Amino acid sequence: MSTQAQQTLAITGWSAVSPIGIGPDTFTESFNTGARGNTDVTEMFDDEPLPRSDAFAMPDFKAKDHLGRKGTSFLDRSTALAMVACGGALADAELVIDEDNAERVGVALGTTAGSVKSTSDYGRATFVEDKPYLVNPLIFPNAVMNCAAGQSAIRYRLKGVNATLAGGPAAMLSGLRYARTQIGLDRVETLVVGATEEFGPQTAWANEFAMRAGGGELSAGEGAAMFVVEDAARVRDQGRVPDAEVLAVEVATHVPDTESDLSPDFSASLARCIDRALTRAGITPDEVSTVASAENTMPATDRYEDSAITSTVGTAAHRIRVKQQLGEAMSASGALQLAALLAGHRSGESRDGEVSLLTAHTPDGVVGAAVLRGWRGRARASE
Amino acid sequence: MNRRVVITGVGPVSSIGTGADAFTESLKAGRSGISPITGFDPTGFPHIHAGEVDDFDPKGLLERISPQDWGRTSLFAASASRLAVTDAGIDPTELSRSAAGSCMGTTGGESQVLEALTEHALTVGFEGVDRDRMGQIPSSRLAVAANRELGLTGEALTLSTACSASNYAIGHAYDQIHTGEQDYMLAGGADSVNRWSHAGFYRLGAVAERDCRPFDKDRTGIITGEGGAVVFLESLESALGRGARIYAEVLGYGLNCDADHMTAPNKDSIVQCTRIAHGNAGIDQSDVDYICAHGTGTPANDLTEATAMTEAFDANTPPISSVKSMLGHTMGAASGFSAIATVLGMHRSFLPPTINFAMLDPDIPHIDPVPNRAREQTVNIAQVNGFAFGGNNAITIFGRYA
Repeated sequence: MSTQAQQTLAITGWSAVSPIGIGPDTFTESFNTGARGNTDVTEMFDDEPLPRSDAFAMPDFKAKDHLGRKGTSFLDRSTALAMVACGGALADAELVIDEDNAERVGVALGTTAGSVKSTSDYGRATFVEDKPYLVNPLIFPNAVMNCAAGQSAIRYRLKGVNATLAGGPAAMLSGLRYARTQIGLDRVETLVVGATEEFGPQTAWANEFAMRAGGGELSAGEGAAMFVVEDAARVRDQGRVPDAEVLAVEVATHVPDTESDLSPDFSASLARCIDRALTRAGITPDEVSTVASAENTMPATDRYEDSAITSTVGTAAHRIRVKQQLGEAMSASGALQLAALLAGHRSGESRDGEVSLLTAHTPDGVVGAAVLRGWRGRARASE
Repeated sequence: MNRRVVITGVGPVSSIGTGADAFTESLKAGRSGISPITGFDPTGFPHIHAGEVDDFDPKGLLERISPQDWGRTSLFAASASRLAVTDAGIDPTELSRSAAGSCMGTTGGESQVLEALTEHALTVGFEGVDRDRMGQIPSSRLAVAANRELGLTGEALTLSTACSASNYAIGHAYDQIHTGEQDYMLAGGADSVNRWSHAGFYRLGAVAERDCRPFDKDRTGIITGEGGAVVFLESLESALGRGARIYAEVLGYGLNCDADHMTAPNKDSIVQCTRIAHGNAGIDQSDVDYICAHGTGTPANDLTEATAMTEAFDANTPPISSVKSMLGHTMGAASGFSAIATVLGMHRSFLPPTINFAMLDPDIPHIDPVPNRAREQTVNIAQVNGFAFGGNNAITIFGRYA
């Protein structure tokens, strides 16, 4: 088993793009006051029926409002959300990209299946146009899953490692693990790590079917959050104050006893992940102050997740159920869970040094947990 | 821990053969896997050929997961993984008890499932489509399918960095074993032929009518392809301990990003990626004696790639061939197939050919594309190129273990 000493990562800036606010300051204030992001979405898509009139979406979000007009008219929604979050995170970290560091800064971006609407619409065009090849070549890259990471790299001139991690709700944790390896082996110095997910008819229906099957009631969401991640030792050596140190990240696959079990109890696999993460972080269960869970109103999976959490860290820790405020936003949910934890620190120094746990699981059996220690972070210009 | 990492199993599921032996024979014979498209109705498309795996038999290859529960691409990933484990000769029960996982690369993931549902939705709306199939869309399922097929409880990571994704995956798997994070990894990629990408590449002017002819002066583009390409990685110590056959050692890899244009390749960035890879592998460019090219057969890629290699290798470019001439462009699986072809060639001392080759492009005079016939040659160090949309360059380096 893995006994390797943990490479510790520091988060030195972040941003979130969400229905309750864009940017770290707005997100922090809204999240901490309990804002919920569901809103009327009936006008978002012409002639494309949605399962519900509400979603945790941003009907008024337009790329050009945040990124300018130049080169933004063809961007898909998933990509635009990621680009705004990426720019916000770089600004929050005051990380300036120039010729000297461009090749040492990269992106690790989580997704579920890319811009599902773009891919679906591209396929649709092959069926409904006069000729099946009469698709728009300009938006072909939008239909491919690495579009958001590639476009973010182009906009912010990030020439280092550029990875897209299709991990769905566990993509944020996979991204942090990926960053730990890439930075630990000095393949890159800084990674902007996060995840993006767009709201659209396809994802809305997919969520609807999953909720009905799982007995849940939560509407679909969308958003993105990105985090500037560096080697924690380097940040400490430079006397900089991070927003958080990622002490451990563990992921695993729950293999059900029989493949015919459609909702297998993954609690033991998740509990092992949490235990391992705590051990590798050198944290005892009673030190965990806050847990950001992935609970989403589905009774069985919420019970499995809760069981894993309570069996490892007990019931004393404050639980934040991020999806209650931000919906089921798949890959973005994991990133917004992390943003929510950091929002708890950003608002004041009272919680400096507290330890948090983040848990995630996917419908197909990936489970994961991260342990981090947060601070208010350095003094920022906006304060 | 700084463990050396070796490849001890390969699992190709391809249009030119499934399994190491069939795949090797086809590489040596220079067989083409290109045939008229049957995976979708190509009526109305001017170009109707692809590298489909016509005889793909997931029921016959898989032992644990049920084909009806998974999309075609996940089945490619899981079948190729099962083959690689069998080829590696490791006890599957022992493997499932170990720190083991998988990392799969892809371009389209299960987008052919999404495409089929999109077509159905034209008549019934999305509310009327098959709900279970809707749950098969997430790309994470490629790696999860591999883990569940083999009972692996470690990481299951799908990297969707498009057409260099297998190289990303092999690199990540290498890191996991190198650092001691995992003891065994399955890594590679999978993709399926579908209408939307066939249409997209056609509209970019990048699809050939019948033959993919990399580096030829009359090349006209790619042939879309599909399949699953997975290698089994473990530490050298582990391989020696169990007396495993070692195809090759993974020496290192390099990744970078053009940060320039979503679809046009960038020569300077590819040169830089080559240098990163050589530096990471601890080799000099003069050590490389074979390059398995990205070699898509488009005018732009092959010119840029060959020019970049000429620059990176100071005009002494070693033989450079493209297996896409045989397989078509298998997208996220492409650099996985290239890696398999390379390590099989390394192990059995041959260079895979570039078929359909007639005359070298005069704009790239300094390259030897191993035209039309496999060549007997000892390969000590080889490089596998993978480039992608988004400027996602990835180059892996392999060494002969002797």
